[in-house]
Amino acid sequence: MKISFLIVCICVLTIASGYGQEKVYYNQTEFGAMFGQSEDNWNGESEPRTSFSMITFHGVRFAKHHVVGVSVGLDHYPSIDILPFALGWRGFHGPKDKAQLIGGFDIGAGSTVLTEKTETEWGKSWYEGGVMVSPSIGAYFPGKKQKTAFTIILAYKLQEFSLFNGSFDQVNPRPFPSSGLPPGYNSLTETAYSLQSLVLRVGLSF
Amino acid sequence: MTTSRLPQLLWVLMISFLAVSCQDEVTTSHTYRTMMPVYLEMSDVRARTISVEPPQELESPGKIYIYGDYLLINEPTKGIHILDNTNPSNPINKNFIPIEGNVDLAVNSNILYADNYVDLLAFDISNLNNIQLIKRVEDVFTHMYNHATGQVITYKDTVLTSETANWGCPNCEFFAVNSSLSFAANYSAAAQSYGTGGSMARFTLANQHLYAVDESTMRVFDVKSAADPKFIKPIDLGWGIETIFPFQNKLFIGSNRGMHIYDASTPASPTRMAVYEHIVACDPVVVNEDFAFVTLRNGNSCFNNVNQLEVIDIKDPYNPYLKKAYSMLNPHGLGLAGDNLYVAEGAHGLKSFKVTDVMTIDQNQMEFIESMKSVDLIPGPKSLIVIGPDGVCQYDYSTPSKLVKLSCIDVKNPVVVK
Repeated sequence: MKISFLIVCICVLTIASGYGQEKVYYNQTEFGAMFGQSEDNWNGESEPRTSFSMITFHGVRFAKHHVVGVSVGLDHYPSIDILPFALGWRGFHGPKDKAQLIGGFDIGAGSTVLTEKTETEWGKSWYEGGVMVSPSIGAYFPGKKQKTAFTIILAYKLQEFSLFNGSFDQVNPRPFPSSGLPPGYNSLTETAYSLQSLVLRVGLSF
Repeated sequence: MTTSRLPQLLWVLMISFLAVSCQDEVTTSHTYRTMMPVYLEMSDVRARTISVEPPQELESPGKIYIYGDYLLINEPTKGIHILDNTNPSNPINKNFIPIEGNVDLAVNSNILYADNYVDLLAFDISNLNNIQLIKRVEDVFTHMYNHATGQVITYKDTVLTSETANWGCPNCEFFAVNSSLSFAANYSAAAQSYGTGGSMARFTLANQHLYAVDESTMRVFDVKSAADPKFIKPIDLGWGIETIFPFQNKLFIGSNRGMHIYDASTPASPTRMAVYEHIVACDPVVVNEDFAFVTLRNGNSCFNNVNQLEVIDIKDPYNPYLKKAYSMLNPHGLGLAGDNLYVAEGAHGLKSFKVTDVMTIDQNQMEFIESMKSVDLIPGPKSLIVIGPDGVCQYDYSTPSKLVKLSCIDVKNPVVVK
């Protein structure tokens, strides 16, 4: 696994070196807001949801108009803070010294490491992260020396995560074999969230 | 509106549309352990031949019974494992008697008594290579009958997953009111010492009589002729009965509200001497001539929120009273061997005490083995049997203050100790 990753890195850097005039390392850091509709409440109505989002993408330019890399970020949803991390691609369209169309695609997972587990004598609750997918499109405005650029991005973001509420088995200390219930639990409620957002971000690239 | 503003307006409209269409989805699923009722015709159960099977791995051992060189280990609702324990350092699994609905057993003069739903079975086990069913006493544990249908009702421990808020079980209300009758209750009772009471039988032998208690009733069998058990009568005990412990001519019956003391000097007809009702005890009582020892703990269905060992003076069995209580960590089962008391402290380990002076038990702790997580123990003639996450383990306790591990029998679903 490590060897194949190394080979991929070498290939990417070799190809990238073919574009000697281009800078290999690419960074894009943005802040913005996510807009969505919260889940239906008890009377079936949903409410607008607005929350903060940031992302920093680090990649290598392996072709003139293409960059691949990794992204990490912070998504502050009303109910939870999630750290998304993903593999990503950025593609550019347009003349180098002018405003360009920039497209992107990130796929990875969101971590709930910032949340706290709560445990009492009777039960335990915790979050588990899930899949994150985010295609994006936007504009890339290079600076005068073309070393830095201003970006404005519109993205769709799907973030999944789950909240688990388990109650301990107070009566029966033996686990139930081959079931979806972890040992020591009498019941487990999983609330699976699939949050869809439209994300508007601005930032800098260098 | 000028035409130059049209693209901006279109952008705003598109973004608004996308934002509105980004609807969160939330789905909830409940996975829970419950008791599914199973209805049986006893005629079908009785028609099946019980034939002894080769040894099977222990899954979730229930009651452990020591008989001579043998360990008989109940597999709740499935049957009984027989192990040769001649050498406690190397117990050998010999065979398995499949008995449906079985949760308890007792052995008297080479005759094994075991419940089979509503019937009591007697097996001749004098020759382990030729175990024979010699008697079936029918319809004695009648509390299992559904009187409306005449069928036997039992409960299967089941894990269900549902997406509905009421957990989707068609018999929820039924389960709720009958939770104490559930198999989980039986199961834990069968596993000796924790949880609420069992609806099926709990057996003990004394004075040539077999006493079987369920949630509310004690059933007395005459076993003077071991191979020919005779049902004598049921005795109403009140609700919440869990354990029965014979000592001399008395029966100490643990309920979840207290401890009943019965005079069994007339074995066919025990009579109540006293009820010690100041405790909520989910664990068995152990007794010597003068005192009863009871553990209370939180974290179980008793909700008493105390962790202590109580010493009850029973010199006058008509007037038992609390002699002294000692604070403990999370005491589960306990066992008394002479003047040595062993207490399973759950996840905290195992403690041993000298109880020669019951007023200074806390000052006479012999050992506290924190690594030995345990929920129950049985002091046997050859070894101290300890039940915990490692399975069924045996310890040499010939030096009471220094336990020496002899062996552990692997268990497929060992107890979870929190």
